[in-house]
This record gives sequence, C-alpha cells and structure tokens, in this order.
Amino acid sequence: MENSNSYSPYSSSSVDSTKPSPSESSVNLSLSLTFPSTSSQRETSQDWPPIKPRLRDTLKSLRLRQRGYNTALFVKVYMEGVPIGRKLDLSTFSGYKSLLENLSHMFDTSVICGTRDSKNHVLTYQDKDGDWMMVGDIPWDMFLETVRRLKITRPERC
Amino acid sequence: IAGVLTWATLLKVSHGHCLLCFSCLVTLVFVSPLPQFIYIIPKPSSFRLRSLTSNHISNLSMDLRLPSKVLEHILSFVDSNEDRNSVSLVCKSWFETERRTRKRVFVRNCYAVTPEAVARRFPETRSLTLKGKPHFADYNLVPDGWGGYAWPWIEAMAAKCPSLEELRLKRMVVTDECLEKIAASFKDFKVLVLTSCEGFSTDGLAAIAVACRNLRELELRECIVEDIGGDWLSYFPETLTSLVSLDFSCLDSEVKLSDLERLLSRSPNLKSLKLNRAVSLDALGSLLRLAPQLVELGTGSFSDKLDQEAVAKLSQAFSELKELKSLSGLWDVLPEYIPLLYSVCPGLTSLNLSYATVQMSDLVELITGCSNLQKLWVMDLIEDKGLEVVASSCKELRELRVFPSGAEGLNDTNVAMTEQGLVSVSEGCPNLESVLYFCVQFTNAAMVTIARNRPNLTCFRLCVMEPFAPDHKTQQPLDEGFKAIVERCKDLQRLSVSGLLTDKAFEYIGTHGKKLRMLSIAFAGDSDLMLHHLLSGCESLNKLEIRDCPFGDTALLENAAKLETMRSLWMSSCCVSFGACKLLSPKMPKLNVEVIDEHPLETRPDSSPVERIYIYRTLAGPRLDMPEFVWTIQKNPEIGVSHLAIK
Repeated sequence: MENSNSYSPYSSSSVDSTKPSPSESSVNLSLSLTFPSTSSQRETSQDWPPIKPRLRDTLKSLRLRQRGYNTALFVKVYMEGVPIGRKLDLSTFSGYKSLLENLSHMFDTSVICGTRDSKNHVLTYQDKDGDWMMVGDIPWDMFLETVRRLKITRPERC
Repeated sequence: IAGVLTWATLLKVSHGHCLLCFSCLVTLVFVSPLPQFIYIIPKPSSFRLRSLTSNHISNLSMDLRLPSKVLEHILSFVDSNEDRNSVSLVCKSWFETERRTRKRVFVRNCYAVTPEAVARRFPETRSLTLKGKPHFADYNLVPDGWGGYAWPWIEAMAAKCPSLEELRLKRMVVTDECLEKIAASFKDFKVLVLTSCEGFSTDGLAAIAVACRNLRELELRECIVEDIGGDWLSYFPETLTSLVSLDFSCLDSEVKLSDLERLLSRSPNLKSLKLNRAVSLDALGSLLRLAPQLVELGTGSFSDKLDQEAVAKLSQAFSELKELKSLSGLWDVLPEYIPLLYSVCPGLTSLNLSYATVQMSDLVELITGCSNLQKLWVMDLIEDKGLEVVASSCKELRELRVFPSGAEGLNDTNVAMTEQGLVSVSEGCPNLESVLYFCVQFTNAAMVTIARNRPNLTCFRLCVMEPFAPDHKTQQPLDEGFKAIVERCKDLQRLSVSGLLTDKAFEYIGTHGKKLRMLSIAFAGDSDLMLHHLLSGCESLNKLEIRDCPFGDTALLENAAKLETMRSLWMSSCCVSFGACKLLSPKMPKLNVEVIDEHPLETRPDSSPVERIYIYRTLAGPRLDMPEFVWTIQKNPEIGVSHLAIK
C-alpha cells in the first residue's frame, strides 16, 4: 500500500511535527496507515472523520455552496446514439466510482473511465472551456467545479 | 406445599446460586430432595433474575413441578430477554415454556446464529430486531458486498413465525424481494424500522404500503434507497388509518403532496412524521395543519422564499403543535425562518440541528427557549459561545452531539469551537450522560474538568479530527485526560478515543474501564501493549473496533480467549499479519475469523499485514454467503497452516 496519497492526514501540513516517532517494534506507520484501498486515490477521503454518509453529503454541498456553486449540481448525460438524455445531480456522488456505478445502472450497461476501445462505453465530459475530456484524470472535487455535461461514448468508434 | 412468603432465599446448586423473584401474586414454595426455593413478591415494578451458569443445567436433575400454565402466567411479567435467557436454563420444561412465550427477539449480530434456529425456537415471536454489518460500516470501512443480508431471515420467519408483526433491521442489505415477502407473509404486520440499510427501492416500499393493512410504523432512518419515483406513497390504501409513525427523510425524490395530505387526513393516530428534503416549506404549512397532534416532526427543506402571508400561516401552524417534543430536518434553514420555531421550543425534549447549517448568532435565541431539552444534536457552527448558552438554558440536557461542519478537509474548519464548549456544558448540565464531540484539538485539562464535573457520564465519544493531535496547550499526549474520564466515570459504557495517545492511555482504560462495553479507537497507541491492556483489563468489553493502529499479532493471540466473551472485534489498517489470522482460527472454533482484504491472499507471505479483520462469536459456524474478498480458514483451506513463529 503506497503512501503517495495526498489526502492522507500524514502529509497534511497541520500535523504536529513534535509527535513522538513510532516505537521500533511497530511497523513503519507510513506504510500501513493509509486510507483503505477501496477508495481510489482521486476521491476525497470517505472514512475520516467518522461521520455518516448523509452528513458527509450535506457538508459537501455546503462546501460547494461556500465556493459559490449551487447546492445541487445537475448536469445532462447523453448516451451516444440515444436522442433523449438524463439529468444527474453530481453532488450526490462521493467520487468517480459511485458516479460510474450509477450511470451503469441508469443506462443498463457497464460504463468506465479510461481510453476508448472497441468494447466499452467510456465516459467523457465537457468542461467549462467547452472542451470534451476523458473523465477520471483530475481529482473529484476539481471535476465537480469544471464539469458541464457528460457523454457516454459508444464502443467501436474512434 | 404452597404458601405466600415474603422473604427470599437462595437456591444453591452445585456451581452457583439463583435468586428468583416475581412481581406477581403467584407464589409457590415447593420442596424437593434438594434444593428448595421460595418466590418472593417485591413491588410490582422491578424484578431481577440472576442467572445460572450453564454448568447448572446438567446438574439439575429435579423436576420442578410447576404447571406450565402457571409458569406461562409468571413469564408474562418477564420482559427482559436477559432474564428470560436465565429462565430457559433452569430445566427442559422451563426452556420449552419460555421459548413458546417469548414475544420479542433481539439478534445483535445476524451471523451469530442461524435464522432457522431462531425461527424454530421462538415460533410465537411478534418482534424481531437484527443487526448486520459492523459499526464501522457507517464510515465506509466495510466494502460493499460483505454481507448482512436480510433475506434468509425473512424467509425463515415467513415459514415458521407467521405472527410476526414487527421487524427492526440495522445495517443490513434489504432487497425489494425482501419487502415483497414481508408484505405477503405476515398478515398482521405493523412495524418496519430500517436503520442504515440499503439494497431496496421505492418499489419495495410500495409493496409494503399496499399490503400491510394495519401498518403502524414505517421508518427509514438513514437508508440508501434507490429512488425510482413512482408514487410509492400513493399505494397506502384509503382504508389505512392506523399509521402512528412515518419516516421517509432519507429519500431523495419528491412525494406527491396530495397523497401525503390525504394520508395525514386519515391518520388521526399519527404521532411521528419525518419528511424528506424535497418537501418544501410551503407544503409544510398545510401538512402541519392536518396533523397538529404530532409529537415528533422532521421537516423538509427550510429554505424556500415565502411571502409574508405564507410565513404568518406557517408560524400559526407551528404554534398549533401543542404536543411537539422532537424536531429535526431543517435542511438548509435560512436564518430568517428560525423564529418560526420559537413557539415549539419550550416543549421540545429533542432537537436535531445536524443538517441546519446556521451560524451561532442565529441559534442563540432558539436554544435559549429550549428549557426542557434533553437531547441536542448540532453542528460545531454553534461554537463555544453557543454551547455556553446551552449550558445555561438547557438544564435537563442528557445527550449532546456536536458534528463537524468542516469535515471535508481539515483546513476548512475555521470555526470558533474548542474544548471549552464541552467544558461549559459539562459544568452547566447536571444530567449530561452521553457525549459525541468532534473537535479539531483538545486538552487534558479539559477532560479532567469534564470528568470531575460529570462522573455520571455513560457514553463519551471524543473525535479529535486531526490524527495524532496532542494536547494543544502542553503538547503532551492525551493519556491523562482519558485517564480522568475512565477513572471518574465509573458507569462509563461507551468510549471513543482519539488524538495522540500512548500505550499508557490504554493501560488506564484497562485498569479503570470495568463497565466499558464498547470501545472505538483510531490512529492511536505505540505497540501491542495497547491491545493487550484492553483485552486483559476491560472485563465487560463487548465490542471493540480499531482502525489505523500499529499492532497487534502478539496481543491478539495471547488474548484469544477473551474474544469468545465479546460480541465482536474489528481491526482495519492495523498490523495484524496474515500468519496470525491463520493461527487464530483453529484455536477458537466458536469464533468466525474473517479477513476482509481485496488483494489476493494465496501468494502473500505470512508476515504481510491484512487490510481488515473482523472476528465475532457465533453459534452458526462459518457463514455461507461470503464474497470473494472475505477469507476464512474454512472457506479458503488452500491458504494452509501458518509457519509464522510468534515471538
């Protein structure tokens, strides 16, 4: 388990440098004490501090609002080749994983991030500059600030 | 020989003794070769049964000639399941009578016993309460698909216990099929309470609504529900008038206001209504007018812009709520609407402001009016000053929870709330017994003061949000502070520790925390000694959950026997090695030792740490529904025996 995760509390500048170093008999803390590997490195920490999901979502909305964004973040989602789109409130998702899960369910097919190929439906987004980009490259919070619409590409086209 | 006697005697059997006393007027004395016992009549209210140890049952050869009808009558006064468990140990016929008359069953770990065994033993049960996933699942520490499925339980109960009326599930996976089965199987179903459950959609709710003609309570507390929409609320038949409690606060989509209004109009017994966020402030007014008898209210969103007239009407509606004791919801509440609540404040015993993101200045007058408040949940936006107001106004306060508003990143917390807030409340509120407090940093001196002020604390959960944060005044570990808490608060049952802690803190907890039943630890300790102190010292320890602490093969293996006396142990991101897990399992057959790790284990060396380990006692043996990422020695025998040598 690597510890290059910038969301780890151990790299936070507010950690007191006078804390005693771990005793020799214990494993090097920086190796074992990362956030659980179930969350991708790009998502914000979902398990610390220990608050329940609904409160976490409420606080996320609060933070977005404080930054000048609406509480809800509705964006249009189209599947290539399907004329009628859907609308999705991105603020209800904790990260890319839950977004993909929900889209896969909504469109009844597996949707992934990543490069286009002949097999998978790949998710792309239009950012605030109007450019179409691959979903998943930037941290989730940054994504929320820049995303304007989503498009699920069909497989096999280039 | 029968007679009425007024003193108690002890029944002595080979390994212990049993004191039986009953609060009804049936008293019997009967003599058999050995021993004799006498029932006493204390006052009708209280009633104590000391338990026989399980050794007794094999040694009791006497036949207690108590007609089963009489015993049934006596048992109808026995409410506590702990006492009923004791009764069932006395002899076979008492076991049989007890099991046929037990009406409420609590299974606090759904994998501790099989559904079939429970359904078979208690065919007349009216109420079943089940808990599934471990507590840390609330904080996303348990991967999806781990388990906790309600289906086998519902299936078993449907087959053997058709009189079931009440089902309360916590942290379980409940599907639409489950809900449909409930609706189809239990003719007189009355109560469904789902807490932190997931896996179902609004279609399942519709199934319950349409079929349960005598439904009294439908509560969805913090569940994750797939919102297909579809007007589930409209499925409640026009003939349903028995509703007492409705909680759909966790749903996202809108319900039709007209459906809700019609439901309220025909529910004169409705005492508790918790709306979801989608119910507008405007709609709230008309709903309140239809249900002025409410005792508990969870509002919807409190942020629409209303005109003067609407505000006046709403204010009037609130002032009509003469019975209101509990208020929650209040999402996005705008400061200018807080005065709408002033009229209900004096009657409130419970106020949940954990979604009300208002500043301290807007809260002060509200809090001042709540002179009878016993339970307050609030965000740290209340600040120290606001907590001082709580301390001076809410003299009946028993439970305080303060949640972090800046949880999304430590640097966002710029709120003026410190340890001083909690100190003030501990000084001002003599009945304070339960605390959950999120704070960026804390001090030992504050904890010492709190302990001195409030030795009556039974639950103290302090979450210092900055991991490893020392006392911010002295830079010392928080050992001395927690020492004061466990030393002084002799009835402390639940404790969560955080901040910079050395093994010493856990030595203190082990020494003094004799009544501690549940303990939560994060980012603490130096070595295995910490775990050793806890497992060897805390006699009443029932649930222990640990994350991100640097131990502990040695302590775990040395104290393995302790684990059978506890309900469960959870350790994640600690240093428990794969080898130790392999050693532990065969040692303790009455435990399920689950390694929850999303990386394959076959190729791992014994010394590599596992992601998570969950150990719980069970009568059911290894469970059959384990996903790929849960490894046990029974399911994965190819893992083999450990070659790890423990020093």
